[in-house]
Amino acid sequence: MREITLTVNGERRKAMVKDNELLLDVLRDKLYVKSVKAACWRGECGLCTVLMNDRLVKSCLVLAVEADGAEILTAEGLVKDGEPSPIQKAFIEKGALQCGFCTPAFVISSHKLLTMNPNPSDEEIRSFLSGLICRCGTYNQIIEAIREAQKAYASR
Amino acid sequence: MSFGSPWFTLPEFTYHKPKTLKEALELLDKYGEEAKVMAGGVGLLAFMKERLMAPSHVIDLKGVPELGQAIYKEGEGLTIGATVTLNELARYGPLKKFGALHDAVRDIADPIIRNRATLVGNLCEAIPWVDTPPALIALGAEVEIRSLKGERRVPVKDFIKGPVEIDLEPGELVTAVHVPEPRRNSRSRFIKYNTGSEFALVSVAANVVMDGGRVRDVSLVYGAVSSTPQVAVKAADALKSAEKPWEVLDEVGRIASEEVEAVSDVLASEEYRRHLIRVLTLRVLREVMG
Repeated sequence: MREITLTVNGERRKAMVKDNELLLDVLRDKLYVKSVKAACWRGECGLCTVLMNDRLVKSCLVLAVEADGAEILTAEGLVKDGEPSPIQKAFIEKGALQCGFCTPAFVISSHKLLTMNPNPSDEEIRSFLSGLICRCGTYNQIIEAIREAQKAYASR
Repeated sequence: MSFGSPWFTLPEFTYHKPKTLKEALELLDKYGEEAKVMAGGVGLLAFMKERLMAPSHVIDLKGVPELGQAIYKEGEGLTIGATVTLNELARYGPLKKFGALHDAVRDIADPIIRNRATLVGNLCEAIPWVDTPPALIALGAEVEIRSLKGERRVPVKDFIKGPVEIDLEPGELVTAVHVPEPRRNSRSRFIKYNTGSEFALVSVAANVVMDGGRVRDVSLVYGAVSSTPQVAVKAADALKSAEKPWEVLDEVGRIASEEVEAVSDVLASEEYRRHLIRVLTLRVLREVMG
């Protein structure tokens, strides 16, 4: 076991981890960041995606020890003073979810996309999000939500 | 919570993160076959979850600065370090000079995976359907290998010895891939055909050197058709010897589809693969000769 320090959604957190533990499991089971979902554990569904040092990664493919010292941002971290962020509001408004299991991953990934490019084409959105699976099939509504939220990012 | 299933967990190992190349090579020398190196970890962690590999020591290379660089020198070519990710490489301006590789790295898996997966990792996995080996072989790339004993260079074509089998001894480390400067009047492209799966059913890389209306040299390399990338020598000869190469493209595609090894598996039958080889050969040649 060794101690790692992570900055999770702006807060410094420490955890004792084994070398073979995944960042995904440490986030969920030791730091209780439950928006990070565990589904396939093999990098295919993308639902454990987080921003690590401002880069999207699938946390089932990252060792917790590798993340020592890293800044992690998840969907929880987009909420400011109890108020959902524009991208989160847009997902609600456009009904860009059905069961909601994939939503945090799509939210954090859409946030990253719009931060980099506030005016992506449909093709760019589809390509950027192609590593995430929504089994309810709300992809079109997700694109609408991104369109809805993009004004807020353009004016930043 | 991983539901107690070994598929979701990793076997136990000790994690090392060397800060210099020397330190990394010393660790590799010390632990030999007990050690595996990790860059993006995409392939390694997947293999370990499925218990296809269970190294006692995992050596993370991301702390070694010199392995994280892609460097292009005019006239010499492009050297891509072991920890350069596919996205970093895709954004590196000079990559455009290497058309086939540019095509291949921008369409592997998905953009989030490409934030972690590396070119060298993709190559060293040597899984038959990975995309970069055909492009690298068509471009004449070499693998740079270091150990405490010294260094050597191996053409990518010889480096891949079989499915998931590479020319690398315990204690050795692939530090980089070197792609030589493209020849004058040359052009290369890579295309793949895939359906629902991200994995190619057939991929092809072509690199041609034009000379007026004729093809002076050409390399045609196929991926995902058999256990290792396949080079079509007879098809290339037919194209080179043609006075009017545009008129023999159909024939070149047919020769390629008959000469290379192709297998049947869950993704496609041999017959279908040979059909795809013919069609993709036509398409890629039209692009590189146009």
